Amino acid sequence: MNILMKAALVAGLAVSATAATAQVKIGALYPFSGGLALLGDESFRGLELATEERNAKGGLNGKALQIVKGDAVDPNQAVGEARRLTSVEKVSVVFGTYSSSLSIAATQVTELAGVPYFELGAISDPITERGFKNLYRSNPTARDFAASMVDSIGEAIAPALGVDAKSLKVAIIHEDSLYGQTVAGYQTARAKEKGVTIVETLPYSAKSVDLTPVILRLKSANIDVVLQTSYQNDTVLFFRQAKEQGFKPKAVMGAGGGYSLRETAQAVGYENIEGALNVDFTQYKTNAAAAPGIADFVAKYKAKYGTDPRSGHSLANYVGANLFFDAMASAKDLAPAAIRESVMKIDLPVGSTASGWGAKFNEAGQNTRVSPFIMQWQGGELVTVFPPKAAVVKMKTGLGTN
Amino acid sequence: MDVFIQLIVNGIMLGSMYAIISVGLTLIFGVVRVVNFAHGELLMVGMYAVYLLFAKFGLHPYASAVPVVILLFCLGMAIQRFIIQPLLNADEHIQIFATVGLSTALVNLALMLFGADLYSVSAPDVRRSVTFAGNTVLVGQLVMLGASILLVGGLHAFMQTTALGRAIRATAQNRNAALLMGVRVDRIYLVSFGLGAACVGLASALVSPLFPATPTVGTYFVLTAFVVVVLGGMRSMYGAFAGAMIIGLVDSLSAYYIAPDLKEVVYFAIFILILIFKPTGLFGFGRGTE
Repeated sequence: MNILMKAALVAGLAVSATAATAQVKIGALYPFSGGLALLGDESFRGLELATEERNAKGGLNGKALQIVKGDAVDPNQAVGEARRLTSVEKVSVVFGTYSSSLSIAATQVTELAGVPYFELGAISDPITERGFKNLYRSNPTARDFAASMVDSIGEAIAPALGVDAKSLKVAIIHEDSLYGQTVAGYQTARAKEKGVTIVETLPYSAKSVDLTPVILRLKSANIDVVLQTSYQNDTVLFFRQAKEQGFKPKAVMGAGGGYSLRETAQAVGYENIEGALNVDFTQYKTNAAAAPGIADFVAKYKAKYGTDPRSGHSLANYVGANLFFDAMASAKDLAPAAIRESVMKIDLPVGSTASGWGAKFNEAGQNTRVSPFIMQWQGGELVTVFPPKAAVVKMKTGLGTN
Repeated sequence: MDVFIQLIVNGIMLGSMYAIISVGLTLIFGVVRVVNFAHGELLMVGMYAVYLLFAKFGLHPYASAVPVVILLFCLGMAIQRFIIQPLLNADEHIQIFATVGLSTALVNLALMLFGADLYSVSAPDVRRSVTFAGNTVLVGQLVMLGASILLVGGLHAFMQTTALGRAIRATAQNRNAALLMGVRVDRIYLVSFGLGAACVGLASALVSPLFPATPTVGTYFVLTAFVVVVLGGMRSMYGAFAGAMIIGLVDSLSAYYIAPDLKEVVYFAIFILILIFKPTGLFGFGRGTE
């Protein structure tokens, strides 16, 4: 018994020793528990799929990728886990993060430690505006979201209604925390550039238990298009109370957040959310002509997890992870300077990845060839409707089925 | 003008929701003299219970009021017995932190069990809107208004006419004197906390069809509930009702005429003014009785 155990131990040590020489450790920093866990885990699945796929093809230049998970529930823990990943686990690079506040906290640690950080899903602009040298972001930012929303009024909504975009009365309503304030600020600036008329801008607390006054103001101003930046609860409240007050704008568009979640649609009722537009990361119901490889991704996802993707986060993380794996593979070594050089050489046209994004990084580390698509709730599904190449169905106007 | 009347109607409906949520807090504060920071979380527990009864047994939210009221009565008694009672003679701050701790624990328990997503009961009959003279209200809101009036009136009658009610009032007025008169104060506390929680149980059955349940739903209401209770003079049921109506109306009107994100500023300004000029609240019993 004793001898057997010792033998097993020695064998085990030997295996792990040989494996260690042919491995590249990568950190995966996401909220795996707590309130953000659902979409944190969904984001991680994209990285996990990309890693397994890469390992099945022989890994990174013959070395297997090994994921070391870090659970970041809040900014404090993000800092702690980033320290552990960089100093104890000694990972070569870190991937993350889904949430912007977690990303801002964790990247401060990795930047100081000189470990490259690949952000695959957090949208807050300031993340890449702090002059960091070892931080790269593959996904679009809040400014891109706001620009897409405002631009779509002229490019998609007005043509669908058969009117001039200048004649549409637009209102911005948003929850008044950092998220809503930021997106609304970018929307206002973009609207000024594009000559879109914003008639009302109404901030409200996401903890409001009553949005009727907001809706009555929109109603008395005869608003045609509502742009809302919201979480889940206030989205539900807005749709329910708009229906109750008989407010029927020609179009309502959300900035991701509460608009992207199936639970929101269920709580509002599919018949009431029908026609609501939404800007977000590419969802899996997107035309493969604009997003080559998306069907392949969905098939792989289903094979591994047994369900359809729960949101577009896994796809965004999958695409981003693959971009950076390619950059790591073509770098001469995994030193930060070599990785930076390699990332800066990435040059993919828009529409060449499974999320429809291209890739070209600026000095700040931000991918400049990304823009979110416009989706719409139709028949209980969130389907891509704009731009036309990415659309799977035609965009509808109006709100609700009745 | 049309909008103005709709806003008034809306404010009254909002006020009745605040009233029905705040009544239990008034009772607990008035009798047990504990500032219950877990009040919002009791509402959250009630709303999840209503959701579970709806999802597992198809029970209408109004029908689930009975089991949920009983459940929360027991939960309230348990909180009093195992958390508040051992701290009854401790410093007030310690009691407050115990309820804050309970609140955090309940929110995280809900996060663990249900996740951060929202759960909604579907009750189309309750969410049906009724229109009169161009103004819209929901059936559920009218029910809430009726229920809050009945609850406040019923509790008042209970306090005035029954022996238990008298004992509760005696304990609220002076704990030691009541003890000397042979009132079993510990039991009165148990029952009062239970009753306060049971009121929240009723509130959760009425609020559920209008508002989805999330782990943090309690925090949406609890601050307003405290304002309502203090405004009403801490111990007065009618005061709480009047306070709730005032907040509801201010909420509705200021959100429209000033700005939706400034409505809290407006009602807290009014709140502070009232406290400056009438520190015991609108219906308080005079200095020293808080």
